[in-house]
Amino acid sequence: MQAIKNYLKSLLLWELIQGLRVTGRHLFRRKITVQYPEEKTPLSPRFRGLHALRRYPNGEERCIACKLCEAVCPAVAITIESEEREDGTRRTTRYDIDLTKCIFCGFCEESCPVDSIVETRIFEYHGEARGDLLMTKERLLEVGDLMEQEIAKDRAADAMYR
Amino acid sequence: MTDVFVNIEIDGKPLQARKGAMLIEIADANGIYIPRFCYHKKLSVAANCRMCLIEIEKAPKPLPACATPVMEGMKAYTRSALALDSQKAVMEFLLINHPLDCPICDQGGECELQDLAVGYGRDVSRYQEKKRVVKDKDIGPLVQTDMTRCIHCTRCVRFGEEIAGLRELGATGRSEHMEIGTYVEKSMVSELSGNVIDLCPVGALTSKPFRFSARAWEMVQRDTIAPHDSIGSNLRVHIEGNRIKRVVPGENEAINEVWISDRDRFSYEGLYSAERLTVPIVKQDDKWKEVDWDTALGYVRDSLRQVIKCHGADKVGALASPASTLEELYLLQKLMRELGCHNVDHRLRQCDVSDQEYAPLFPWLGQSIADLEYLDAALLVGSHVRKEQPIANHRLRKASMRGAAIMLVNPLDYELNYRVAEKVIAPPSKLPMALAGIANALLGRTDGSVDAGLRQLLAGVEVNTPQRAIAETLKERKPGAVLLGNLATAHREAATLRALAGAVAELSGSRLGYLSEAANSAGAWLAGVLPHRGPGGKALANPGQSAHTMLAEGLKGYVLMGVEPELDCWDGRASLKALDAAAFVVSLTAFRTPPMDRYADVLLPIGLFAESSGTYVNTEGVWQSFAGVISPPGEARPAWKVLRVLGNHFGLADFEYGASSEVREELKVIIGELTPCNHGKWRLPDHLRPGLNGMERISEVPMNALDPLVRRAAALQQTQDVADGAAHVNASTARSLGLTAGVQIRLQQDEGSATLLIAIDDRVPDHCVLVHGAQGVSAELGPWEGPVTVQRH
Amino acid sequence: MEKSGTERLPARVRSIIDNALTKYPPDQKRSAVLTALREAQHDNGGYLTTELLNAIAHYLGMPPIAVYEVATFYSMFELKPVGRHSISVCTNISCMLCGADDIVEHIEKKLGIKTGQSTADGRFYLKREEECLAACCDGPMMMVDHKYYENLTAEKVDEVLDKLQ
Repeated sequence: MQAIKNYLKSLLLWELIQGLRVTGRHLFRRKITVQYPEEKTPLSPRFRGLHALRRYPNGEERCIACKLCEAVCPAVAITIESEEREDGTRRTTRYDIDLTKCIFCGFCEESCPVDSIVETRIFEYHGEARGDLLMTKERLLEVGDLMEQEIAKDRAADAMYR
Repeated sequence: MTDVFVNIEIDGKPLQARKGAMLIEIADANGIYIPRFCYHKKLSVAANCRMCLIEIEKAPKPLPACATPVMEGMKAYTRSALALDSQKAVMEFLLINHPLDCPICDQGGECELQDLAVGYGRDVSRYQEKKRVVKDKDIGPLVQTDMTRCIHCTRCVRFGEEIAGLRELGATGRSEHMEIGTYVEKSMVSELSGNVIDLCPVGALTSKPFRFSARAWEMVQRDTIAPHDSIGSNLRVHIEGNRIKRVVPGENEAINEVWISDRDRFSYEGLYSAERLTVPIVKQDDKWKEVDWDTALGYVRDSLRQVIKCHGADKVGALASPASTLEELYLLQKLMRELGCHNVDHRLRQCDVSDQEYAPLFPWLGQSIADLEYLDAALLVGSHVRKEQPIANHRLRKASMRGAAIMLVNPLDYELNYRVAEKVIAPPSKLPMALAGIANALLGRTDGSVDAGLRQLLAGVEVNTPQRAIAETLKERKPGAVLLGNLATAHREAATLRALAGAVAELSGSRLGYLSEAANSAGAWLAGVLPHRGPGGKALANPGQSAHTMLAEGLKGYVLMGVEPELDCWDGRASLKALDAAAFVVSLTAFRTPPMDRYADVLLPIGLFAESSGTYVNTEGVWQSFAGVISPPGEARPAWKVLRVLGNHFGLADFEYGASSEVREELKVIIGELTPCNHGKWRLPDHLRPGLNGMERISEVPMNALDPLVRRAAALQQTQDVADGAAHVNASTARSLGLTAGVQIRLQQDEGSATLLIAIDDRVPDHCVLVHGAQGVSAELGPWEGPVTVQRH
Repeated sequence: MEKSGTERLPARVRSIIDNALTKYPPDQKRSAVLTALREAQHDNGGYLTTELLNAIAHYLGMPPIAVYEVATFYSMFELKPVGRHSISVCTNISCMLCGADDIVEHIEKKLGIKTGQSTADGRFYLKREEECLAACCDGPMMMVDHKYYENLTAEKVDEVLDKLQ
């Protein structure tokens, strides 16, 4: 009985029809293909892209060199050196993220007690020379300054779930 | 004393405990953990943190394990519901006023409060009110305070009272307003103050030089031995990358217990001095040129050969720092002796070595360091033990607390942190006479046979009341010891002092001991860095010259190892003169200084302290070997490697060592089973000099000016234990000279002179002026001690 | 080095301390520290200076910090200049139930100062939060210059304070 059923199925190209049915159905649906880079998909406020170091509204850098991000980083992509700044506060003298090592897990962001290191929605970046993907403190702060509005909005949107 | 034992039970485990012990000690000894903050095994019990509350059967309330003595049949439960509830409640109270600043706290990651909060703390605080904030006070260059974090365990307060012997920190105010601090703005001056950093269970007291520079989890810990005093304290260095970030004590009950001196703790900063030499350099046509090792060593070989050829091997000399390792010292003397030169010495700050053939195998403490604690009487001769060997002083302090009589014969009236039973303060030139008085007092009480020479020498020496009292005490109280310190060995008549101290020890039946100068003074004697003895103390037929003679009389070629002669030698002025006049000077050095630039021809960069493997022999004769834990900067190499390759360059046989341990083993075989003995023969002088009449100079090396490394440790140089460049006189001498503090004077000593500011210092005896050694002006002045004239500038 | 000379304690204070010292074993001179502090404060117009504390430490052979600890612990020692007459109103439970808070308020209004302050003319000092002075049976009460005044009313307070200069 099963053998006859299978024979008929293959004779009538049943599987092909089944496949074409899916194609047919989508032929008349609304298209979801995005014309990147002209068009872009919406991103979640939790999106984990390029890193940034934030500042407080008064311009003071947030990072206090606690080194928790460095400790938690599973890819060992973060290197921090710290010292006592002239005003007696704890500050970094070096804050490097090697983006070629980074796996964008977001642990650094999670571990930060002062919301200093964050991952922004920027995912379109590249490097042309060796070292271009090594983010230094200055570059990270630059990204932070540039994106602060969006970063702050995203943190606010996610605040109640954290 | 036999201990009585009782049977107790902790967490159902039957245990034997010494009667009178506290429960927490027994639990610790048996691996049962009870949380605690205020309890520390070396401090008294305060029981004020309440973290160690545990349940005890038949007790209605939980009891603190640190203050509950064990009793027969006692049953304790450390993890019962009652115990855990109490501990959690205590933790909640402790956290009420503790700030949530772990991310910026240096203790973060190694904090006892942080650790225990994970185990016993609630995740959310119920406390809604204002937290306490305490204003920080500056308590000196070594210890950083953040007193808002303090949980009032009072370990630091008890440390000050019980260990440092100097109450500097206290708990002022009460209840919520209680603060730990100095109350008045004041620096901690104790030579052991750094230990409060280790004691503090939270981040309230942390290391200032280390501040914010690394995290506990990034550093690796390695063991090493302290390179300064002759105690050989065990250290643990914390390293990040190739850099020492801080130094903490290693536990060794027989040597340093759990304490280390501030000098040992903070001297690592000197490694990162800007003066560090990192490449071999050679002077050609008065210009310094960086070269590779091969060229440099080749140049040294050719130049030394040239000097030996022209002037003879006896016109070349080697001076080594007594802080060099045993291996370095052995190789240096081996190299020099292979070249036919016996002018090798490490006794840089000694002038009178005329009794050297009678000297013991090495200047030995005469007992173990731990034995010092059980002395009943001790006479210190020319020793500032509190600053020179702080750990030995701690042992003596413990003896004193037990009732021992600690007595002094010193050129300066040093303040010790315990009661001094008797003291005789005499200017250096009268020091032998002062000691002779004690010997004479003992002679009067001796009926046995006494060396005729001694009897003759002491005939007619006056004995005053304190001298008689010292003699009586030494005679009657046992065990007793006569200990010679650095000021005695550096004395112009050191041989006489040694002979008299030996006589005092012999006549009173006490042990004779040396509190030797540097980390490896004992090792240098064993390795044979002496003009008259080879390795293992073997006497030589043709002895060379001592360090002082080499510099005073001048040679044609010098090999220096870890030495800055103008600061480290007995007569800085003569040293510089001799070196400037020499045809060839090679210095194996970690630092490059302007005087070196002038006198040296080749500078070879070497590793220091933790950068080199080696062995130190401490004053009680214990060999402690250590591995190099970081690599030296740049092209610098451990000195034993430099000497080994230099030996190869000279084509000498038996210079094929693969590791420093091979050098040590070779020396060990030579030394064999020798045991030191200080009681032997002494060279008695023909007569005792009465002493000088006019003004005379006193020198001492301040604690933090001892050697090239510590002189470059930035934080230590801000303490008060440094060479201050002043001329110290007491108030009455100042008055008689018409001087006041801050007045500029011209001090003339032999041909040398220097302009100095007057400082009033009542530790200085009358008609004396104290100018610290190991500083620039002392190199201008000249010898360690001697007559001086003071003129108003 | 600063010397905490004996001469910085007035002879009268020293004689009282010496008298107190006779009550204690000679190796426990520190037992007299409370007496010393009390007398030194009394002699110095109601407050103690760091110099006085140092002088006491020197006199009794104690580390200065130990004297600071005692002086800061007890509320009856003042470490800053205060008014000539010290007023302490008990605000513990018995007195409070009898209206001590009103008395405090009255004094504050009358003198124009808050607790813990002195009047500008240096005449009065109103202590902060005095604890029970053991006169519960006659509350509310206050202590002015070591003298108890009990069953207080606003009028009685005025009468007591107006008499003091």
